[in-house]
Amino acid sequence: MSVFIAALRAELRGIFADRQVRLIILAALVIYALVYPLPYRAELLRDVPVVLVDLDRTTSSATLARQVDASEAVALTHTALDMGQATRIVHERAAYGVLLIPEGFERALLRGQQSPVALYADASYFLMYQRVMQGAAVPLRQMGAEVEMGRLIAQGTAQDVALAQVSPVSQIEVPLFNPAAGYATYVLPAAFVLILQQTMLMGLALVATRRARGVGHPVWLLLGRMGAWTALYALVLPLYLVVLPALYGLPNLGNPWALLLLGLPFVLATGLFAQCVAALFRQGDVIQVVLLALGLPFFFLSGFAWPVEAIPSHLNAIAQLVPSTAAIDGLVRVTQMGATLQEVSVALWQLWGLVGLFGAIVLYLETRAQRIGMQKRVVA
Amino acid sequence: MLRVMLREFRLILRSPALAGLVVVLPLVMLLVLGGIFRAGIPTGMALAVVDLDRSALSRDITRMLDATPEVQVTHQALSLTEARSLIVSGAVRGAIYLPQGLERDIIRGDRPEVVTFYDNQHMSAGSLVARGARNAVDTALAGLRLSVRQGQGEATVQARVSTQPIPLQAHALFNPAFDYVHFLLAALIPTILQIIAAAATAYAISLDFGPGRHPQVLVRMAGGVLPAMLGKILPYTLVFLLILGLSDIALYGWLDVPLRGSFWLMATGAVFFVLGVQLIGALAFVTTRDMGRAASIIAVITAPAFGFMGLGFPREAMAPLAQAWGAVIPGTWYVQLRIDQSLRATPFEISVMPVLWLATIAGVLCLLVLLRLIRLRRALEAGA
Repeated sequence: MSVFIAALRAELRGIFADRQVRLIILAALVIYALVYPLPYRAELLRDVPVVLVDLDRTTSSATLARQVDASEAVALTHTALDMGQATRIVHERAAYGVLLIPEGFERALLRGQQSPVALYADASYFLMYQRVMQGAAVPLRQMGAEVEMGRLIAQGTAQDVALAQVSPVSQIEVPLFNPAAGYATYVLPAAFVLILQQTMLMGLALVATRRARGVGHPVWLLLGRMGAWTALYALVLPLYLVVLPALYGLPNLGNPWALLLLGLPFVLATGLFAQCVAALFRQGDVIQVVLLALGLPFFFLSGFAWPVEAIPSHLNAIAQLVPSTAAIDGLVRVTQMGATLQEVSVALWQLWGLVGLFGAIVLYLETRAQRIGMQKRVVA
Repeated sequence: MLRVMLREFRLILRSPALAGLVVVLPLVMLLVLGGIFRAGIPTGMALAVVDLDRSALSRDITRMLDATPEVQVTHQALSLTEARSLIVSGAVRGAIYLPQGLERDIIRGDRPEVVTFYDNQHMSAGSLVARGARNAVDTALAGLRLSVRQGQGEATVQARVSTQPIPLQAHALFNPAFDYVHFLLAALIPTILQIIAAAATAYAISLDFGPGRHPQVLVRMAGGVLPAMLGKILPYTLVFLLILGLSDIALYGWLDVPLRGSFWLMATGAVFFVLGVQLIGALAFVTTRDMGRAASIIAVITAPAFGFMGLGFPREAMAPLAQAWGAVIPGTWYVQLRIDQSLRATPFEISVMPVLWLATIAGVLCLLVLLRLIRLRRALEAGA
């Protein structure tokens, strides 16, 4: 027991007495909390600029343009005389799409023929493309439905029958969670978990490279260190995953107990993983660079932003060894989707499994180090 | 200076830490990232169907859903509660609700509701699922609407015209294959290289200029602080340009990402990009004279840089402060240049702007490093 307490105190001292570790584990968390969300503060993409090329110049084409312009997603900010001119505006990134209304648009409508319009959306940016397509497609579909209904009514069909014939069902799409499709709401909860993991890995691995060899039974030593991490992150984790998102106005549906119960194996697995990283790379400077480079790959491997369905299975298997993979999935489901512990039990057990795996490796390393140390002393 | 450069190359070969950081680490990253995105656009995402109608039509819709590449019907849920729980636990990414009496109500003209629920917290997957489901239901219903009109005696062609008076001809400008995958990859590689190049340059400099080292030897060998520093930096410029070139060969050659623009413009941009990034690392080190603190500065600048590049959430929609912060990071301009020259075939006079920006950033950083070096030389002379 005394070994346990000594190891716990030594670990806490290792964290707080070392300026660099303090900088990483505490200061960096604050700085990242300020810098990381900066690009996403606007949350929603509204009024994406689109160029209008109206070759018809009639009342109908003007009505169509007005309806597209009125949509929330896009705004017709530029007009051009032809496609060449319009494309140039898109090249300059002043607009992200071109709405082309061909000559004879109104005439074809009046004759009861199909009267197509063309939409060119900049597909080099995924979100822009989606918004432009959405913004134009909805008013177009609406106007099309109105035209069809008008024709049916003109033929003598009753209005409600006409409506039912134009669109036989009303298709409703309900986004569960993040209903406004906010980008910050989408990406930040996962990013915060990753930041927590990366700073913890870096800081605790540095502590591991710098500490003197522990005296006492390896199991008690390790438990003492784990106690130190738990004590520290029992404060930091709720601050980072509950208070910080609340400051940014992100929704939180999570049960605090579920968060803490899932957070515990995450912290322990990450701390133990840090010991393995330290044993593998040994030098503090190298560890920092390697972990810095691994941040983005860890994020994309976690299957959050890039769906796990698209990740090749062997890479996905390796990704399961990184605590953030299960932690991001589990914690995001708990805080953003209100999942119960039972619903994230796979993530929970996976994290405990990692604790067992990394714990065994660290114990083996510690025991070996102690034995080698002993032999050296005997030889000396 | 040449002697310092040659010495540096020998150092890279001899020191496992250095070789690991500048050669092995970037190559491993290339492999991992290439592996993640190799499979392309995700398909077959799990979907639950809550079919309370159990009619020919509802089975038709289910079949259509299964035939859609984006989704795959993996679960039949008995209630919305069950479907919701499946979504929350991650077993499926969405659910489609076909109410009781669907087919009957359609025939009566009652316009029943078909509801698609999707997980928009995982937005990238969720929106794909929603799109797939919408298309499948549309296809199933278009068939129905056509057959209704045909039943009223309209000819097929006429019926198709009447059901869609204003068809939208959607065209993709620039990226007809919708190749987001390789596009993402083409941006992620420079982002990670930016992190590694800045940190590795700082590390290499720390090996000679760090505490407890003897920069005097190196300075004497090169004949001045500036040539000594250049000799330390330039070998890594070559190494990183080689790695960038290698990744480009993989991207444009092997993965067939289109390259429609000027090779020389891309190459010039790449040189300024690598130099600029290295100078960030150099400046961080000569300012702090401590690798730990330098690494923290580099981390704050380069680690969140991906978000500021605007690949997910576009730059133009960001707050001015975020746009400005993105504008001083070399990677932002280099990635823009790559997109311009590979996908968009942007005319030269527009695309030269990011290159000028990159040159400006590298120039300013160079000036700042020089200022620090002048002070460093004084300190060294005082020490010697």
